[in-house]
Amino acid sequence: MDQYLPILVLIVLGLLFAALSFVGSSMLAPKKRPTAAKVAPYECGIVPDIEPPSRFPVRFYLVAMIFIIFDIEIVFLYPWAVVFHQLGTFGLVEILVFAGIVFVSFLYLVSNGALSWAPAKHLERAMPSRTSDSTIARISGNPDPLASGPPVASPDVEPAAAAASGPGQAA
Amino acid sequence: MTGTALPLLAAGDPLFAHGVDLAVFVIVLIKVVVVFAALMVSVMLMIWFERKVISDMQSRIGPNRAGPFGIMQTLADGIKLFFKEDLIPERSDRVVFKLAPYLTILPAFLAFAIVPVGGVVTVAGHTFELQLADPPMGILFLLAMSAIGVYGVMLAGWSSGSKYPLLGSVRASAQMISYEAALGLSVVMVVLVTGSLSTRAIVDAQALHAWQWNAVRLGVVPFLIFFVAMVAETHRPPFDLTEAESELVGGFHTEYSSIRFALFFLAEFMNTITMSAIVVTLFLGGPDGPAPHIPHTQWLWPILWFLGKTIVFLFVFVWLRAALPRMRYDQLMDLGWKRLIPISLGWLMMVAGFVIDAWWGLAITGGVVVAGALMMRAFSIGAARESERAIIPPVGVRLWQRPPATVAPGHEESEA
Repeated sequence: MDQYLPILVLIVLGLLFAALSFVGSSMLAPKKRPTAAKVAPYECGIVPDIEPPSRFPVRFYLVAMIFIIFDIEIVFLYPWAVVFHQLGTFGLVEILVFAGIVFVSFLYLVSNGALSWAPAKHLERAMPSRTSDSTIARISGNPDPLASGPPVASPDVEPAAAAASGPGQAA
Repeated sequence: MTGTALPLLAAGDPLFAHGVDLAVFVIVLIKVVVVFAALMVSVMLMIWFERKVISDMQSRIGPNRAGPFGIMQTLADGIKLFFKEDLIPERSDRVVFKLAPYLTILPAFLAFAIVPVGGVVTVAGHTFELQLADPPMGILFLLAMSAIGVYGVMLAGWSSGSKYPLLGSVRASAQMISYEAALGLSVVMVVLVTGSLSTRAIVDAQALHAWQWNAVRLGVVPFLIFFVAMVAETHRPPFDLTEAESELVGGFHTEYSSIRFALFFLAEFMNTITMSAIVVTLFLGGPDGPAPHIPHTQWLWPILWFLGKTIVFLFVFVWLRAALPRMRYDQLMDLGWKRLIPISLGWLMMVAGFVIDAWWGLAITGGVVVAGALMMRAFSIGAARESERAIIPPVGVRLWQRPPATVAPGHEESEA
């Protein structure tokens, strides 16, 4: 255990340094009480009115769980790597089986799109009743902007039907 | 084959061969203080070096007021931060908020302890290694420290009670754990060919013959993977998503001011230096290098070699920051999970095979190629499923009004 003595001393020294720097800062820093604006969460000068998000995309949790699989694999790999020269072919076959199983689970994850982080291509509009089309229609008085608009890509939708049922047009 | 790794296993600093007495403790204390001071000074110089090099690359002058060539600029900035108001945001979790800088700075210090800086020297009858500590579990200690570093970042952002720090810290945690897997897998290869977890043994094994540095011996791939993962671990550009100024203000340390901010800054640069030293230790022979036969300087050359190699990496860190734009988050995660981890796993199997004999190595290489093809197939299946889920309305058709007959099977659940 003697080999760990320098690390212990370094921990003490590091803690001492951090503590002393805090003490020094508290002695040298201005003592006035901060205003309410200063202790408010930083928001580029805007008064924050929305709480920080308490929910996050589930992918972050997913990544944390997948990480555990790989981390456990690595935990098993280190002792194996140290004694690999003694284990020889037996150790190689063992680890091939082990890595193969982990790799298959990785393939399953990837083919399920569990590790796809690219933004989903959702093109739904936030406010369906107001679009640039409807605005143009409202202002210009042309009730049917799509009738003379771009051709419709989807063959099984009739342009007239799609346009006639469009909402938000000037009543 | 067996037995080659055995002599290396029984390593350890010869300083502790006869137990710990007062003289040994004093030597330990001196070593610790010297390393600590050297780290602080090198962090100071590193920040100055980064600012100078980047300003040169951008045709600016950079800091040039404090001291010759502005070399004292970092010190001036540090002293200035002591005189700044130490704010604790009212919505923060005060205890955790104060604890987080400690959790960030301590691992940054400690990880350097296992780096062999030079050879073995004898001073006043005591023989010791120019290395702070040489525990038999050196590499595990390194991984542990880099894992604890995640907590500092995570808690700092979470305890601030503010949006940008929280977003920054969640990103940082996901990024660090993603690249830790690739980092760990590339280090396993080094451990595999050395047969020991001690950093001294790893360095000694690389010094045995010419061209036995692990970067060459393992094929260049593990070295490159370690390097990329190390840049991501220290969240330096181009992987500095955690403090993407244009979207997250300052990232996880937005709410920190005064000396607490300085400690985060210090920790970041100390991590940069430590990681550069570690990549040199693991892959580039550490203090190994040719030494001219000048009397009384044999102890100096290893240190100079070590410093020289480390400075190269520090320059590369700065260079990356000046040259590369920041990555997008999905690119970052794809690089980590879909490229680096599978490649390092496959390469590890190949290295293990070639250690046994060439036939095993070739067989496993073939297996890895097949597995790679399977993986590419899995990627394309995953991408296809992803685009199936996406809703892409045809041009000119309003999605919310589409007649039921035109809704493709995959689209219904997403619209609901």
